[in-house]
Order: sequence, then C-alpha cells, then structure tokens
Amino acid sequence: MKQLSLAIDLDRCIGCKTCVAACRNAKGLVDHASALPGAIPYYLRVESDRQGIYPDISIRSWVMPCQHCKNAACIKACKAEAIVKDEQTGIVRILAEKCTGGRACIEACPYGVIQFDAARNKAHKCDLCWDRVHNGQKPVCAEVCLTDAIRFGEKELLKMELEAEGKEIVKKMSAQSMLYFRTPG
Amino acid sequence: MNSRWIPTMCYQCKAECAILARVENGVLKEVRGNPRARGKACVKGMAGVSLEYSPDRLTHPLKRVGHRGEGKFEPCSWDEALHAITAKLRELRDRGEAHKLTASFFPHSITDPKWRFLNAYGGFINTALPHCDSAKIVACIKAMGGVPNHHIPPNFASVPKGGVIILAGRHAMGCLDDAAVPRDILDAKERGAILVVIDPVFTADAAKADWWIPVRPSGDTALFTGMTHHIVMNGLHNKAFTENWIREGDFEKLKDYLADKTPEAMSAICDVPARDIVKLAEMCASAPSVGVDSFKGIMLGQALDFGHAWTNFLAVTGNIDNPGGQPLPDLTPLSPVLPAPAGPSLAEKGWHRTGPDKGRFGKYSFIMEPTWYEAQAIKNGDLKVLVTAECNPALTEMGQEEWRKAVTMTDEKGQYQLEMLVSYEIMLSETSKYADYVLPDKSYFERWELLYMPWWYNFGHGVALRQPVVAAPGECRHSNEVFIELGKRLCPEYFAFKDDLEYYDIQLAGLGLSVGKLQDMGGLWSPGTTGFRKYEHGGFGTPSKKMHLYWEDLEDAGQALPRVFLAPEYDADADAFPFFLISYRTIFHQGSGQWTHNNPQLRDPIGGFRENPVLINAATARRLGIEDGAMVTLRSRTGSLKARAKCTERIRPDCLGLHHGFGSTVGRVAVLGGGVSDNALIPDSGMTLDWQDLVGGESHVSTRVTVEG
Repeated sequence: MKQLSLAIDLDRCIGCKTCVAACRNAKGLVDHASALPGAIPYYLRVESDRQGIYPDISIRSWVMPCQHCKNAACIKACKAEAIVKDEQTGIVRILAEKCTGGRACIEACPYGVIQFDAARNKAHKCDLCWDRVHNGQKPVCAEVCLTDAIRFGEKELLKMELEAEGKEIVKKMSAQSMLYFRTPG
Repeated sequence: MNSRWIPTMCYQCKAECAILARVENGVLKEVRGNPRARGKACVKGMAGVSLEYSPDRLTHPLKRVGHRGEGKFEPCSWDEALHAITAKLRELRDRGEAHKLTASFFPHSITDPKWRFLNAYGGFINTALPHCDSAKIVACIKAMGGVPNHHIPPNFASVPKGGVIILAGRHAMGCLDDAAVPRDILDAKERGAILVVIDPVFTADAAKADWWIPVRPSGDTALFTGMTHHIVMNGLHNKAFTENWIREGDFEKLKDYLADKTPEAMSAICDVPARDIVKLAEMCASAPSVGVDSFKGIMLGQALDFGHAWTNFLAVTGNIDNPGGQPLPDLTPLSPVLPAPAGPSLAEKGWHRTGPDKGRFGKYSFIMEPTWYEAQAIKNGDLKVLVTAECNPALTEMGQEEWRKAVTMTDEKGQYQLEMLVSYEIMLSETSKYADYVLPDKSYFERWELLYMPWWYNFGHGVALRQPVVAAPGECRHSNEVFIELGKRLCPEYFAFKDDLEYYDIQLAGLGLSVGKLQDMGGLWSPGTTGFRKYEHGGFGTPSKKMHLYWEDLEDAGQALPRVFLAPEYDADADAFPFFLISYRTIFHQGSGQWTHNNPQLRDPIGGFRENPVLINAATARRLGIEDGAMVTLRSRTGSLKARAKCTERIRPDCLGLHHGFGSTVGRVAVLGGGVSDNALIPDSGMTLDWQDLVGGESHVSTRVTVEG
C-alpha cells in the first residue's frame, strides 16, 4: 500500500503552533481583514498532556493534523461520496466539487479535524499539501516546524528510519497513517 | 500569477529574524525563515501577514481633539503634524531644554537614524522597556569590557557533547534570541548536551529540560553564588583561566567574599536544596562548557547583582568565549556617517540626573535613560517632549497608572506638564490614546532598514537589510524617514545625506557594499564566524586586559561583589502580600505591542494564546478554596484586578503567574478575551527607587500580591 505520512517527534515538538499559522497562510484560511480569534479554520492543532504533580512533572506536546485514516470514517459517512483515499499517496481528500455540505464527515471524524466553510457550504481539511507533495516539496507544516519535529515521507520508509535510529513509535497515537515517536528511556 | 519570495527581516519581536516573504501580485501571502540565515521563523513571524492587513492599521496622521487618554482624534495632514512637532522642538531647544526631549524606541541598529537625530538635536533615547537587559550589558562591560552586550545568549549551535545549557528565568524557546534557538537547543541535547531550566514556572523550555529547578523568584543570585562557592572552595575552578585571565587580586577577593556563601546559606535564600546547588555546581565544573541564557534573571530589580554573580560563575569555570559558553560580541566594521553628532551628556543632563533623585543615580552606568523613571521625570519637570515609536508605555510601564497620571498632569495654567506626546505606530495602542499626534508608521514589510548590532544571535557580526515587499497603505511614513526630515529641519549639518537609503549606503561603504549590492546579495552579509577565545589576542577590553570580578567603583554602594539577598520588592510587604507575582511570557506574545495582541492569529486559541488567566499552583488553590476557572481578585500595595484562575502544577506554590502585556482597551482583537495587565499591580518604579537597580539601570517587573476567591 502506498501511504505518505508525517512522523512527529514528541521529544522535539514544543507546542509553538508555528505550523498552524503557516498552514493557515498557505491554505488561505485567514481573511486577515475580518478574522477573529476562535473563528479561524485550521487544518492542524496542538495537543498536550501533563504527567505528575509539582515539582515532578512532565509535559509533552504534539500536532494533530488529519490522520489520513486507513479506513476513514469520514469516507463512509459521506453520502455524496465526496471524500476519497488516493491510491497513489494514501491522502484522504475532500473533493469540493462533490461536497454537498451534509457535514456527516465532521460528525464521524474521531479526530475532530474537518472544518466547515459555511459561505461555500463545503467541508474542508488537511490534504497533506496535495499540490506540494506532488511537486517534490514537503507539506508546509513539516517545512516550517520550528524544531524540525515533523518528518515527511512514505510511511514504511519513515518507520524504517525511526527504527534504525532506535526511536519508539507510540502505537496508541499512531493508529492511523501518521506516526508519533519518541526516544525510549 | 506573479509570486516570489523576497528576503527581508521580521519585526514581530526584538530578535528580528531573517525571513522570506512571499508576495503574490503585490499582496503578502506567506512568511518563512530565510534558509541563508538559520532558516527559522516562529509563529509570530508567520502571523505577521495578519498584522499587515489588519483593518486597524493607521493610514493617516491623527490629532488629539479630546483630553489625553480619551482617545479622541481627528485626521490631520503630515504637514500640520510635522509643523507642530518641529515648532515645539525648536522652541524647546531655543529655551535651552533640548535635553528634555526623549524618544522611546527600540534601536534597530547602533546608528538608527532616530538615535542620530537625538544625538544631533540634543535629546535622549530610552528603550521603551524596563531595560530588561541593561544590567547584563553593564555587568559584561564592567567584567569584560568591550562593546555593549545585548541579550546575546550562548551560541547554542556550538554547545559540545556534555555541555551544560542553563536557562535561568529565560524562555529561550519563545524565540526572543532567534527563531532558530529551539532547534539549536534540541540539536545540542541530541548530541549530549544537558539542559537545565531555573524558573518558578514550568515553561515550554522546562518541558524539554533534563532538570527543572523551580527557584524562588530573585533567588538566582544566591543560587549562582552558592555554586561558585562550592566550585572555588573545592578547587574545582578552571585554574588555567583564573590564573591567566582574571585580574590580579580579584580571585582572592572573590574567595574571601565566598567564604560564608555556602550552598546551605544560599539555599535558605533561593529555596533550592543545598545538595542540588552542589550537584549543579559539580555538573558545571566537570562539563566541557556551560552557557547561561538569562537576560535579567527571575524578575528582579537588583539585576546587576545577578549579572555580576553569573559573570563571576562563568569566569571561575572558564566559560568565556568558548564553544557553548558566553560569547564576546564583535563590531561590524561599517563606515561612520560624518560629521558624527556626539549627543548630550547623559550623566549631566539625563532626566535621572537633573531631578530630586539625581544623587541616587550617581553610579548609573547604562547608556540610555532609565525608561522606568519616565513618569517621575515628567512629574519633576525634566521631560517635556516624549516621542514613542513602536512601544506602549501605557501598558509596559511598571505602575502603568502613574505613567498615565504623569502624562495627563497639568500645571497651574491648565497646560500639560509633558508639553507634547507623539505616538508613532502602525495601529492605535493604549499609549496612542494619550498622544497629541498619532503618526502612521510603515510596517516592517513596507520599509527600508539597515540592521546591525554586535550582539545578534541570528547573524553574528553582520548586517541585514529590511526592504519593502509590499506598498504601505494610505499616507504611512516610516519613522526613520520622518526623523531624518526633522533632522534636516532642525540640525541640517548632520543630515546632509539625501534620505535613509543614502545614509545606509554611506555606512555600508565600510564593507564595500551599498544597499543595492546588499539587496542583490539577498539582503544578508555575514562571514558566519563568531570566533572563540578572542581575548587571547590582545586581552579583554578592560583597563587591565583581564576580567574584573571585583568592582571597586561600587564599594560605596556595597556592590563591589554581588548582593545575594532577595530583591527588595519581594521582601517588602511579605506578610501582607504572601505571594510572588510572576510575569511570564509565551512564544505568542513577548511584550505589550499591538503587533501580537491585536493579531487574530496570535490571540486565537488554536493558533496562539488568547487570555491571561492567573496561574495558581493546584495545591495552593485547594488550600484557598479556589476552583479552576473561578474569578479571583489579585491585590498588591498599589492596585487590584480580577482574572480567571487557572489551577496548574506548573508553578511554585508561593507564586502566581500572569502573562505579560495583556489589558489593551483599543484594537478590534486586542480587547477580546478579558486580558488584564500585570502592570496594574506593580508599583511605579520611579516611586520605589529602593527596589531598583540604580547602577545597571533595570527596574523590578514584579511584586508581591494576595489572591482571593
């Protein structure tokens, strides 16, 4: 199976959201003249968790883009058949021309990453920078990551690379096509 | 479609990172770090696009029509505004009071045209900040000599395997040094460096640290001195360095001073266990390098003592200008623009030297006016015209209410004591509300600027060109252009060049460059070297050519060696106000500028940081019966405010945390989210001189408070 993927380094992500802003700019998600906090679409977000009690605590952060699922719930939910998983790349795409604005995909997505454009009556989301990756470029988030915490490539090769470096893929977080990893110990 | 990436320089914060701006058919679309200069831009840099196209941009000059503070204006022409400003400055100079002009701005180079104007006219500059780095600069000059040292951090890219990186009260991953710093720190860690974060708050840096040390605020002087004690008394110091590069007699004086500064004694002050002080000392003594990034330490007004303690610590461990240690900055060999105006004497005419407190500033060593004394100077009648550019003292000043009071004070005739206040900004700010004239600046995407400082992490001893990538809206003019015009009107002998570009051309001739040539090169000139152990060729820049650990000129002030006790602002009111207020920052907002606070992306909960709740330790909150999300009241000796409580494990139990810079009452976005200003609680610096660093020039930025549910 062909699958492009992002591998997110939990040791390096600092939760700075640089990728969020760069993605928004690149994808034209911000109407700079009218945008208001809390109402700007986004294709990825930062999550974090804390372990422990003061003063022995640890916090880790990671980014949550579309997971480009193996058997995507959004695809099954869409009655208009507007969502497809591309055979060449494994990218899950919403075909805007087919989207009828039913929003079932938004309800179905377990990761909460699908956005809705009320003005156009269309769902939209991360397409792993479809145009860029077909042109030899990384997705924007991987290119701009402040700490080089996001790697891009074919999933099998990323896994091989991480294994060779002794990294641990966090299986619970990597259930779909994106990989989350850390240094063991 | 015409789309291209243009190299220029960010100015969302003082780091001024090299960026590429993508412009499509004349419209700015995207930002990236410039791969020729470390290659990173942070979230603020990315969100600069929203700043550029904010509907709040000022597009023409405004003239006040109401009282100062009301924020009522009417449009006026540039001619009218400049005529009024020129007339006032001419009158001020004619009556022998040119020194009563101050411009408050961040100088983008040591020959910033605004600074040249002030030197030529006879006025002064301040940094528009509480001089968060002045004590470090003064400490470095006193100990090592040479050129002023801005917030030059360790060169993290140079830290060797096993090297120790100490971030003391410094949110390095907030990118105020450079957007490449987070990557460089993590790369250093991957090659085996050790990251130690000393901070009362568990920051994003602490989340990546090998060791978080939640020190008591202002305990860092004691912590570093305790380490120095252990290292020196146990013979763990770098003998080659101390024998060869410390002034004769200083090491012995230091040793005598250290005798009672045991880890146990210092532990009582800084609340770090003595065993941990010893452990960190031994870790540092045996490491191939130690670098400290601290800026001003943990929010203290006696920052020179910390700068001194930290410098002494680096000296005894030999971590001066070595890979991973404290770099010594160099000057870029640019050409002077002649004739060079000397400027008035700060020591004679500065407003801290002409008022009732002049005697107390006798040892003041910083090169600019103490910004934090501004309100007092106005009250004293020693500051008559204030021009603020790209700064926001109405929110930034410690004791903001006193600043607001000072600029609205009137004399017996009903005239404002501060005769003119000009705000130069790209959008209305809290400060603009008080201004007589508000002048519309060009954004950093619209103007020319030559950046060079000896200290910047991002391009070492180099120069960088900021160039217009898009057209400015309306009648915006860059403040440098206007100050040059004022110079031509008021002191033409120093402004014989045509414009800002010719001014930069003259300077660049020293490198065989011009603006055009630098532009053709991609806007950057840097040989890429920092150099190590440069003191081995000619010694240090001190009179003895060696490091000075003992400062005899401060014997009278009791500061020949660092004072280790808690900063007085934390000692005062301890019984009535049991908590330390910590003013912290994030990568999303570094100051109080509208650039980030009025930016929808940076105030968006997904893309930035929207509110500034009060961080309160979860156990403390339980003890006080405060629930997460509840509204609480914070009180200090001078103010009170209400804010939402955020119960967290990320802060010391005796501290409360408030993000700095919120609380604006203007700006479409800035007013959202219920933010509050930490400076509403912090006593005015000019009225609490006992708490301030009157030598290094810094002021306290925090205070003691109570919290009630």
